[in-house]
Amino acid sequence: MIENSIIINSLSFSYGKNLTLDDINLEIKKGCIQGIIGSNGTGKSTLINILVGRLKPSKGSVHILGSSPEVKLLKNIGFMPQKNSIYENLNVYENIDFFARMQGLSNKNHRKITVKKIIDTVHLKNMSKEIVYKLSGGMKQRVSLAIALVHKPKILIFDEPTVGLDPELRRTFWNNFKNLSSKGTTIIITTHTMDDAIHCDKLAYMKSGKILINQPPEKFLDTNKNIYSLEDAFIKLSVGKSNEVS
Amino acid sequence: MKLVDRIIGITSIIIRQLLRDHRSVALIFLAPIVVMSLIGFSFQDQPIILNRTAPAIIATMCLVFVFMLTGISFLRERLSGTLDRLLVTSTSKIELVFGYLIGFLVFALIQSTIILFFTIYVVGVDYTGKITDAFIILIVLTITSVSLGIFVSTFAKNEFQVIQFIPILISPQIFLSGIFIPVEQLPWYFRPISNIIPLTYANKSLRNIMAGYKIEDVISELGILILFAGILLILAILSVRRN
Repeated sequence: MIENSIIINSLSFSYGKNLTLDDINLEIKKGCIQGIIGSNGTGKSTLINILVGRLKPSKGSVHILGSSPEVKLLKNIGFMPQKNSIYENLNVYENIDFFARMQGLSNKNHRKITVKKIIDTVHLKNMSKEIVYKLSGGMKQRVSLAIALVHKPKILIFDEPTVGLDPELRRTFWNNFKNLSSKGTTIIITTHTMDDAIHCDKLAYMKSGKILINQPPEKFLDTNKNIYSLEDAFIKLSVGKSNEVS
Repeated sequence: MKLVDRIIGITSIIIRQLLRDHRSVALIFLAPIVVMSLIGFSFQDQPIILNRTAPAIIATMCLVFVFMLTGISFLRERLSGTLDRLLVTSTSKIELVFGYLIGFLVFALIQSTIILFFTIYVVGVDYTGKITDAFIILIVLTITSVSLGIFVSTFAKNEFQVIQFIPILISPQIFLSGIFIPVEQLPWYFRPISNIIPLTYANKSLRNIMAGYKIEDVISELGILILFAGILLILAILSVRRN
């Protein structure tokens, strides 16, 4: 039986009087890659912040692996923010090692093996002693990805993880994501990039704080309505014709 | 055990990052020596004033440098997003603040050791107390200063704003804690303020210890200083928020 990793029920969130999330309902199955798309300011990042426990819902509930987002649960979550958020004065190994330690990998030898393995996974083996500020943007993103993966979380949350990556690196990232998903890791990705959206198992389209549609990417396409690509679908949805797509 | 391991982990990256910034490290240790030299050699012929001022300068250096170091470092953590990322791990706020505290304590104690020995052996200030007693005062003052730095960084949006807190929070302590004029000789309306600032108690106890008193002789001043450190530590922990 495939269980749900995340269940969001009637979730609303307001910044003061500004309603940012409006009655969100979403169930994400274990091992699913769930994409969240939508224009800027539609509430994607707010939703992510609630999932990682940085914001509390104004109404409704969120259940991750059966419990509400809280500190204890964070060891099961790997988070890669849009901004790299890594220590520029530390080297690649030190950054990953530090966050692994913070996630509770306290055994030094075990941590050393784990960190080396993850550095291999993100293809940074020859760069492990490089100070981060000397690295290119793409390499910094690989470090950031390694930090999210190092403690082998059951759930991965990525906020626009492939922004600024070249096509080759993007493919490497997606190969990693699909490999993890096949092993049962649940992945949530917010994105603007249709090249990314097409890889998701399910795609939730958000507008004005609501999820209007949540379905596999291929179902967004409809040649009868001149929607040949996800980009066509996204543009149609953004100008307010959601019923044309669904 | 994980709590201790996380605290050590945070402490070690604080120290490692600072050590990689060679210029800052040089300034942390050189600047107090320059200030102490200026004061020491200006009052070379007035040993009474020098013996009275030097302990207070040591305490003030500790307060100011640690405050700046912590305030700016913590603000950088906030601005770079590493603090947010750290708070999305299973690290607690207590672990985070204590990790910072110990990291800066190491620097503050090295700095204090340099100033203390420079003051005694180069400037020639009289010292008849126990060195370890002086360090007890400086450790408590460092805890006060790190906590104040973390707390204040919550209200600053850039490094410039952290520096702007010095005239508001640190300068009154320098002028009203008895460094230049004994608290008893201050105008009556300033004296109540002197009683509610940590540096007054740090100066008084450090001065007495350098003059040969024992730690138990300054227990009331030390007790009040510990109280300040405790209150500010709680405020610092509360000011770190996950959301």
